[in-house]
Amino acid sequence: MPLKKFFPLLVILLLLAACASAPQATEAPPGGEAESVILKVGWAGSPDTLNPGTAVLTEAYTAFELVYDSMYQLNLDGTYSLELAESVNVSDDGTVWTFTIREGFTFHDGEPLTAGDIAFSYNFYASNPDFPFLPVYTGYFASVEAPDDRTVVITLSQAIPNMESQLIFLYVLPEHIWSQVATPGEYENAEMIGSGPFKLVEYAPDEFIHFAATGQHPLYSPKINEAVFQRFENQDALVQALRTGQVDMITEMPNTAVASLRNEADIAVVNGPSFYPSVADVIFNVVEPENCPPGDGVCSGHPALRDRQVRLALAHATDKQKLIDVVLLGLGDPGLTLIPNGLGPFYNDSLVDYEYNAATANSILDEAGYADTDGDGVREMPDGSQPLLFRMNYPDDSTTAPRMSELLKEMWAEAGVAVEIQALDPDTLTSVCCPAFDFDVILWGWGSDPDPGFLLSVMTSAEITTGNSETGYSNPTYDELYDQQGVELDMEKRIEIVWEMQRIVFEDVLYIIPFYEQTVQAYRTDRFTGWLTGDAGKLALEDLSSLIAIEPVK
Amino acid sequence: LSRSRYILQKFAWAVFTIAFVIVLNFFLFRVLPGDPARAGIRDPRLTQEAVEAIRVRFGLDKPVINCFQSLNPLETGDCFINPFETQFFIYVGNLLRGDLGISYDTNRPVKDFLIARLWNTILLIGAGQILAIILGMALGILAAYRARTAIDYAALLTSLLAWSLPTFWLGIILLFIGSSRFGLPIGGRETAGGSFATVWQEWADVGRHMLLPTLTYTIVFMGEYMLIMRSALLDVLSEDYILTARAKGLRTFQILKDHALKNAMLPMVTLIAINLGFTVAGAVQIETVFSWPGLGGAIYEAVGRRDFPVLQGAFLLVAFSVILANLIADLTYSYLDPRVQAE
Repeated sequence: MPLKKFFPLLVILLLLAACASAPQATEAPPGGEAESVILKVGWAGSPDTLNPGTAVLTEAYTAFELVYDSMYQLNLDGTYSLELAESVNVSDDGTVWTFTIREGFTFHDGEPLTAGDIAFSYNFYASNPDFPFLPVYTGYFASVEAPDDRTVVITLSQAIPNMESQLIFLYVLPEHIWSQVATPGEYENAEMIGSGPFKLVEYAPDEFIHFAATGQHPLYSPKINEAVFQRFENQDALVQALRTGQVDMITEMPNTAVASLRNEADIAVVNGPSFYPSVADVIFNVVEPENCPPGDGVCSGHPALRDRQVRLALAHATDKQKLIDVVLLGLGDPGLTLIPNGLGPFYNDSLVDYEYNAATANSILDEAGYADTDGDGVREMPDGSQPLLFRMNYPDDSTTAPRMSELLKEMWAEAGVAVEIQALDPDTLTSVCCPAFDFDVILWGWGSDPDPGFLLSVMTSAEITTGNSETGYSNPTYDELYDQQGVELDMEKRIEIVWEMQRIVFEDVLYIIPFYEQTVQAYRTDRFTGWLTGDAGKLALEDLSSLIAIEPVK
Repeated sequence: LSRSRYILQKFAWAVFTIAFVIVLNFFLFRVLPGDPARAGIRDPRLTQEAVEAIRVRFGLDKPVINCFQSLNPLETGDCFINPFETQFFIYVGNLLRGDLGISYDTNRPVKDFLIARLWNTILLIGAGQILAIILGMALGILAAYRARTAIDYAALLTSLLAWSLPTFWLGIILLFIGSSRFGLPIGGRETAGGSFATVWQEWADVGRHMLLPTLTYTIVFMGEYMLIMRSALLDVLSEDYILTARAKGLRTFQILKDHALKNAMLPMVTLIAINLGFTVAGAVQIETVFSWPGLGGAIYEAVGRRDFPVLQGAFLLVAFSVILANLIADLTYSYLDPRVQAE
């Protein structure tokens, strides 16, 4: 039969196919010597660049923390401690900061780190137009000098209360390398020579980044020899990698995986405030016609939202716990103001949130004269001119806003307020937002610096025309307090002012802050112990603090 | 129409299409609203000088083309400038020199990035395609030859099922089974941070990582090839000249090999050409599930980050390979079926 000729061919083809893709039974070769202790971390991102001057993503900053040193270290509880310097002397007027550098820092290529490298780095960051973000932190530096190898003198143009937070992201670069770079904005920094406790071994963009402990750092002596951060584009794959032991820790995971992972043996799931705090906000357009930015301003906001009673009613009509439970599956903290709980002492936790109660919301609106005169379930303005129908926009790249907008629509309908939901791409949203003020309600958010200064500035009158103010809020008392906290050098007093500012905007109901999202991470308990799991404040297992604390399970 | 004229005509069309794509590609990304210098970098603290420096670095400070500062029709620009100082001519000039620009996102040259990703994609999708073509064709031939028997129905059902499986779902399922039952790696191209004594060890490691994504790809595409092969061959087998061949007493294998297969290959060639062209675009879903650093994933990310230079380069690459694959298909037709060039 002809079939007989045909079948062997098929069988051969199938065999060939099977061989071509047959699993190689051998285990992947172990990295380096048998003794080497390797920590394997799984994450969903990858550093965008190794150049500290142009990096944007937090993954890049995680790498910088391991490879570079800076003047101060930001601790998990929101405080700062000296890193490169052993002591600091501040002049009485607060403008001259004299740092004495600790001995024993060397760059990974063997060159010693001196005060000269520090002064070079700060001046380099300050003067470089190709570095978009870092000049912000050197804005108050009048001069940076290194009179000798162990002394750095920074002279400020005016005394500022948050000097530490200006210095933490200014990583110290080796002068002998960076002074040779012709175009720093395009420099890839592939060698990434720093002075930190870990040095770069290999960086495969979008795949993995591999570090090895130098064992020569004067402050930190990690008990692991190597750390590999591997990227998993798919969140379910990330969780599976931890489950099967292909990684020892994951820096993020979908909230939907938390419940099943908690039941897993040898795996611990931890959650807490994020190391890079973020805040979700429901923005009300409250710009008064007289404050409408000339030129850019459209200021088409619904007049009812300029009435504090309406905003107060909406706050009472918003069930934050339900938003957290549904949108974040419970992994968030109820929000109060733009200053998130991740900012430690600056977060005003004395404020008591508006109680969720639809009846309260309805009675506030009744008293304020917003009645439903035509009986369609939606209230009208006191003069009957238009219904309380608000446009609600959110950026279409948001994962939380779609569900949140639907829930808010239902909740606010209980108080007789209707919304019309529309997602916009972030560019278009920016163009309707600010300084155009061509919206009623926007669901958006901010990432925060460790210092509250920037987020507080967002609500000042001066920012209405710049596009940073999203609400168009203008309150002279608040503006004055903002200026005061910017020059108050006494930490206690500054915190007092910052708390008062939060109280003012909370009572004016500028925003409804639904939640501060928590970070959720997980690690294998059968591999390493000693993780700093967030009892001290913020949670970041990938931070240097944990990487120097952990040790292998015996 | 002579054969050489036919070939020349097809080449001319390909060149014209590529030129059209180059122009379209340029304007496509510039009609989008928003400032590319600010897209992706949404930090409000960015100073005006910093934004300006970014615009200069990426050449966005120059007018798009004569008379237009940007592609916003409300903003007209200077008509009397040197056309070679406009973004369009700089783009074309750079392209001719093989320079695809710098990624907004990573500050790396787009060309180096795309080439690295392209090889990964060719490795993965190439292996998957070859397996799918071989298995699909074999199954298709078998099913057509044993038409309307249990073997045919089984093969048909399997192929239909495989072809209709959602790629993403199949990938996830294979990933879960492969990693927990067989200890296969979950993602990446090779063991992260691994060091290899020999090149063979490294290749074995890459092979292990390729196994699951290749399997997923093969299963999904095998079905498509099988269905097309089967129906094309069935059509041909019902032709009169096959009956004649049978009447002459030729053996079935000979009929298949010498008379039927070549004619049944036309639709297969079309399908293979189309699929090979799009191979370069990668398989976004498979690459995402298995964290394979290929082109599909790169395009997907560049869309999310609005990294226009990368998108522009990737689109060009994909368009180029689709056109090339079509050209090859056209030329293959004329070999397989001489009637084609006469039309």
